[in-house]
Amino acid sequence: MSAQGDCEFLVKRARELVSEDPWAAKAWLITARTLYPSDFNIQYEMYIIERNAERTSSAGRLLYDIFISFPEQPVVWREITVITAALRSDSQDKQTQFLRGLFETLPGSVQCQMLLKATEQCFNTLEKAEMLLLLLKRFPESVVQHGVSLGESLLEAENVENLDTPVNCFRKLFVCDVLPLIMNNLDMRLPASLLYKYMHKAAEFYISYVTRGPSADGQIQGTSLTGSQEVGGLKSPGVGRGGQRFVIDGLSEKSSVVCEPWERLLDIVAVVGARCDWQGDKGSRNYTELLQRVRELFRYLPSLEAEPMSRCCGQIVICSALVLFRSAYLYMSAVQPSLFQGHSALDSGPWILLEDLSSVYSEVELERSAGKHAHKKRKLTDGREKTMSSDDEEGLGKGRGRHILVNKSDFPGWAETLESFRTARESWDLLHSHDALETEFNKLCTAWKTESWLWFRIFLTDMIIYQGQYRKALSSLAQLAQLASFQPVQTQISAAASNLENHRALIQQASCHYALGEYRLACEKLLEVVGNLVPPTQEPIKSTEEAGRARTKPRKGNDLRLLPCTSKAILPFCLQLMLACFKLRAFTDGRDDLALGHVVVLLQHDWPQGETLFLKAVDKICQQGCFQYENFFNYVTNIDMLEEFAYLRTTEGGRVQLELLPNQGMLIKNPSPTLGVELNTLLLPGAQKADRHHTVTRGITKGVKEDFRLAMERQVSRCGENLLTVLHRFCINEKVILIQSLP
Amino acid sequence: MSDIRHSLLRRDPLSAAKEVLYHMDISLGSALQSSGAGAPVLDKSTIDLVEEFIFHVPKDRSVPPKRMSCVQELQLLEIMCSYFQEQSKDAVRQVIFSALFSLQGNKADESRMAMLGKLVSMAIAVCRVPILECAATWLQRSHSAWCVRLARVLVDDYCTLVPSSFSTLQNICSASPRFCCQLITAVTALYDMSSEDMTPPPSLLEMVVGWVTEDPRLLLLTLINMPLGTSLPLGGLDVTPLMGLLRWCVKAPLAYQRGRKLSLTNGHGEQEKGVGCEELYSKLHLSVLQVFLMLQVHLTEQNLLGRLAVLQLESVAVLMEEVSRLVEELNPLHAASHIQLALDRLAQALQVAMATGALLCTREDLRTLCSRLPHNNLLQLVMSGPVQSTHGAPYQSNFYPHIHPPRSSPLPPHNTHPALSTHNTHPALSPHAAHPALSPHRPLTPHATHSSLSPHAFHPAAMTFPYRPIR
Repeated sequence: MSAQGDCEFLVKRARELVSEDPWAAKAWLITARTLYPSDFNIQYEMYIIERNAERTSSAGRLLYDIFISFPEQPVVWREITVITAALRSDSQDKQTQFLRGLFETLPGSVQCQMLLKATEQCFNTLEKAEMLLLLLKRFPESVVQHGVSLGESLLEAENVENLDTPVNCFRKLFVCDVLPLIMNNLDMRLPASLLYKYMHKAAEFYISYVTRGPSADGQIQGTSLTGSQEVGGLKSPGVGRGGQRFVIDGLSEKSSVVCEPWERLLDIVAVVGARCDWQGDKGSRNYTELLQRVRELFRYLPSLEAEPMSRCCGQIVICSALVLFRSAYLYMSAVQPSLFQGHSALDSGPWILLEDLSSVYSEVELERSAGKHAHKKRKLTDGREKTMSSDDEEGLGKGRGRHILVNKSDFPGWAETLESFRTARESWDLLHSHDALETEFNKLCTAWKTESWLWFRIFLTDMIIYQGQYRKALSSLAQLAQLASFQPVQTQISAAASNLENHRALIQQASCHYALGEYRLACEKLLEVVGNLVPPTQEPIKSTEEAGRARTKPRKGNDLRLLPCTSKAILPFCLQLMLACFKLRAFTDGRDDLALGHVVVLLQHDWPQGETLFLKAVDKICQQGCFQYENFFNYVTNIDMLEEFAYLRTTEGGRVQLELLPNQGMLIKNPSPTLGVELNTLLLPGAQKADRHHTVTRGITKGVKEDFRLAMERQVSRCGENLLTVLHRFCINEKVILIQSLP
Repeated sequence: MSDIRHSLLRRDPLSAAKEVLYHMDISLGSALQSSGAGAPVLDKSTIDLVEEFIFHVPKDRSVPPKRMSCVQELQLLEIMCSYFQEQSKDAVRQVIFSALFSLQGNKADESRMAMLGKLVSMAIAVCRVPILECAATWLQRSHSAWCVRLARVLVDDYCTLVPSSFSTLQNICSASPRFCCQLITAVTALYDMSSEDMTPPPSLLEMVVGWVTEDPRLLLLTLINMPLGTSLPLGGLDVTPLMGLLRWCVKAPLAYQRGRKLSLTNGHGEQEKGVGCEELYSKLHLSVLQVFLMLQVHLTEQNLLGRLAVLQLESVAVLMEEVSRLVEELNPLHAASHIQLALDRLAQALQVAMATGALLCTREDLRTLCSRLPHNNLLQLVMSGPVQSTHGAPYQSNFYPHIHPPRSSPLPPHNTHPALSTHNTHPALSPHAAHPALSPHRPLTPHATHSSLSPHAFHPAAMTFPYRPIR
């Protein structure tokens, strides 16, 4: 018998026995091993028995022996590949856990060797990196040797692959896994430039990670559920439910998760700060402190010489930029959570930053605005758009200390959100308070392509609006629309979502135009929005209490308001804004019955908030002695107003000539589909009658009197109609007239 | 002294016995303190008192022996139990235990044995570790005939008499591993498989296998704790139970087959016996092999490799004879597989024992010994030894040790091993009268052909790596 034959015989016997009597099988192999201690197959068979029985420690001991004695056996290498794959895997199945446990039983030196050799066998950069990471994590002393080269190879791989986002597998491994090892290893002495480079890479990654858009999963879910023609920015139930899954391409779901990104980023900044001897750096505990410190540092900036100044700039720019992006993100995630992954659309819909119009009903405001308007109008008639720049400068002054109003009960965490908005603005201001800082910051923005960050653009727009630079805001909004159309994520977003996005921009544009005194443009934008809104079936109840509050608090008139982007909130705003636009025109010295009529219609909303203004309008009508507004009976259903107008016609009321019946010609030509058949037929006979008498006289003929009475009676019966539906119809039907009646 | 005796004579037997214990404690305690290193020796008069008042050996014909009642005896045992439990000094405890129960070769020995059996049985029942430790030492120093008697008492009490109390015996393994080790050696000496009565009861077997698989190191405990150069008493138990257990494993397939044959001829339907035991023997056999591997580490560390024969060649020879006799008894046609199993186990044990230095002999020796055994492939392979040409020189072990230092024994080392100067010369009552009593130490030159190998191969799960990865 040859040795080979002996060994085969022994292993064969063991194999035969292993299922029915594993102890006997092992006894055979122990014997075999004492006979042929250097035979691989005997030891491998021993290992396989223990491994299949998942006996961790004994399998580990045998694997150790095999690894030491037979390092060149291909079977051993296959086994090591399987084990190291298990180490990298997230899987929790029994076999994987066993293999991980098996690896743990090996002595450190063997683990180290195994991982190194397994790394050598990897040709895929990602796999290789993961393998090396296993090594570095276990054996910190190996970080000095392999840390930076691993990091650089990951960054290079990212470059080579030409990936379009920093949130990719290479960067993730670099930032979250490799970098902490390098940074926290005190034996590593890295030049400041490298530390800065790494910190920037980390910051770009973390910011992009946090602000990443909803993933494909979420979108699919979203579209399928919002297919039911949800318009008007209503919260569609089920859009992107909380548990959105996110996977970085090339990584598993588990390793795609980045915990507490802002905190991790802060950790890295703290290490870099310490390593680069930052001024006044005592290890930043939070972002507020970070900003506080560079603000102090900024005061010394002008007194510094070139070299320390550039160092100082570096510190100020990165710190304030991080605070800026973080605060802007926090603000945006509250104001428009749907932009980001993981924020359920159910949290809260988008909120729009707009001019506060709660003072629209007040007379005080009227005087001020009228004056301003007169000034504006004069310039407008000159046809010089350029003059608007003066308004922007004016706005700049206004940009300080403006209030942002918000309905606190609808917006939990409003205080924090507004605080974030403020901090972001302050960081921005700091970054633009010195040329050197601005240059440095712009470099950063270019490198990170912040231009393409939709969310940041939206924030910037809000900031510009806050600063009162409406002209700039308008161009930014236009840019935004362009940007949104380029965003792959945005294009995929459901009809409802993009509609919503559209509304947001339009309403803000309207608000800006209004603030610039461009009422016609404001109304154009507004009416575009209103057309898409669905009037709430029930009138809001709390509007009165809100109104009550607003009345007690006189406004300076340059406040802003955060409004939820819902039909319920937007429609009233649109009505107020239109009122604000027409109010000025209606109460000018000249006579503009159409504008006055619109105002009367619009004043119905939020009644009796507008009572004072209505009485002023009535005064004006009385002064004029006559008033012509043919849409009156279509849209005025307020009983108080109807009474007042009925009274005006009486002797006591001053026998005012009221021409309020609809222009029959127009009605016949355009039977309004929204009015419904009933109302059209109701109105038409009356109209025909009026037509008959039209040529006779415009005065108080018997027939007209009768028509008016009938119309009034009919109108009284309409009092119960949903006012918002009526006003919504008003906006849609009279769109052309409304726009035309503004300069 | 006679004063004490006279006062004792006036007392009732229980209080007299108590008084003697008290007296021993005082005199030995002070002797131990004054003598320092030297072991205190009990004077003759005290021994007489012990024999007279505790074991009730009549001293003179004039005084009628005062026997204790059963209740009194129980009370005395209780007193002893608590005495040993409460005696904090190891040395005093050992000396007193030895003074009470060391066999003297006189009339009192029967009483001693009777009382010792009861005391140890009680100590097991109430888990009195100090007594078990003393009993372990006693088992180490006494002639195997007495040890076997103690073993029988315990097996009777716990396996036969009250089988439900069996778990109590099972639990003492963790309480006093040393005692367990000696007990296993004693029961393997008791049950030598020479007849059906001498096959271990299944419950006993199960218990032993349970202990051994839980921690195979248990089997080496006595050996490991024995100071170097200690000479064993003549006719005492083996230092390890390895030989006894090996006998069980090798002979079991044949013995049960024989039992089956007998029961068939007798018409008893006892076929089931031994079926469940097959697995137990297989496990036990593997453990024995694993213990050989561990033994190699110990021998190497102590520089005893090739100098200490843990398995006696003579005992092996006897085992082979027994096997060949059993084989002859059985019909080879019907029992072929059982015979092969027995020979496989024998061959495996021989090979591993030789390779690990537990058995010191040449393959040449083996060939002579095995000449009467039927053919078996593995045995043939073991006798001829490995083919050297293709594999080159015998693989000299790469022990773990440089990377994994040997694990320190999880069991507390036991150092109270006073020099055994007194060999109890006893009438030869060896249960294995067939083989001559030999000195357990047979100094030999290291054997050239045995190859050592990593002792960790197939170690049981309880053995873990001493090193954890650095994190």
